[in-house]
Amino acid sequence: MDGRDQENLIELFEEFFDAEQAQNCLENIQRAERILREHPAPEPDDMLIANIKAEMAMRLRPRRASVFRRMVYRAAAVAAAVIILTAISVKLFENGVEPAAFQRASLLPSAIWESDDIATDDVNLAIFTAEIEQIENEVLTLQSGEDSSHGDGTIVELEVELIEISSDFWKG
Amino acid sequence: MARSDDLAQIIIGCKNGDAQCFSQVVDMYATRCYGYFYRLTGNNDVSDELLSELFVKLVEKIRSYKGGSFESWLFKIATNIFHDHLRSKQRRKKLLEVRQEQLESDLTEPKQSDDNGQIDQLQIRLGKLDAETQELIMLRFYSQLSFKEIAKMRSEPIGTTLAKLHRGLKKLRELMEG
Repeated sequence: MDGRDQENLIELFEEFFDAEQAQNCLENIQRAERILREHPAPEPDDMLIANIKAEMAMRLRPRRASVFRRMVYRAAAVAAAVIILTAISVKLFENGVEPAAFQRASLLPSAIWESDDIATDDVNLAIFTAEIEQIENEVLTLQSGEDSSHGDGTIVELEVELIEISSDFWKG
Repeated sequence: MARSDDLAQIIIGCKNGDAQCFSQVVDMYATRCYGYFYRLTGNNDVSDELLSELFVKLVEKIRSYKGGSFESWLFKIATNIFHDHLRSKQRRKKLLEVRQEQLESDLTEPKQSDDNGQIDQLQIRLGKLDAETQELIMLRFYSQLSFKEIAKMRSEPIGTTLAKLHRGLKKLRELMEG
């Protein structure tokens, strides 16, 4: 413990002075502290104490109000977050709407997805994929300007191919 | 004086904003803190102001008290308030040079005690010590802190605190008895 009640002054002084000096220091301090006790300072008057207590109570009120206000703000923020999350969840899952990633399948003929003939479907898929890749390459070539000699003719050709593929999809 | 368990309960009450608990703290420490301010300023009016400021600060800062010696924490605030007072007094002195002598005397001149009008001999003698020694002596006497706690509060080695206080108290004793 570091408190004054546990303080052993003579031991403390002996850490810094020899025994005689330590004893001397102790006597000086005890005597001086007795002088201080014999000459007490005036005490604060009752009116001052009452004013201080009133001032403290007054300062406590706004603090309590601000604590309440902070709690209300916090609760409102939590409530708003819950409402937003609920709204998002309802929007996502209501009426069994599927995520956008599944909607890409509708571009392919439904016959492929409903068919049990896996071997034929694989071949069809391979053909479609190859055609799509080819078109992509041609588009990239056009964008990079490498095939500028063909000009509009190439674009028309591509459009025709796209229409053909699209009609093939729907025919299955 | 309240036991440490009682004090801990009172401080918890203060942290919860209980005016009654603050009132108890005032009852427990007002006399000692007032004595501390009075012996350093020698002026009742200034001591009144500083004591009020101390307890208002207590309301504002009680949540920052994280345990340990409450006296040490409270008197640290009291010391800071006294230093602020000295600084503002310095500023005033610069602004009002004409009144310099009078303002300086506020700190050192003895005041008459309230009861029988006798000059407070101790206050006169204290005025002959340097400001730091006065402060150290008053901190030791009114805060009731140990040398170790005072050294920690002042961020200095205990040997330094001990030497300064011993020198100051010895001088005060000589002045009072001589």
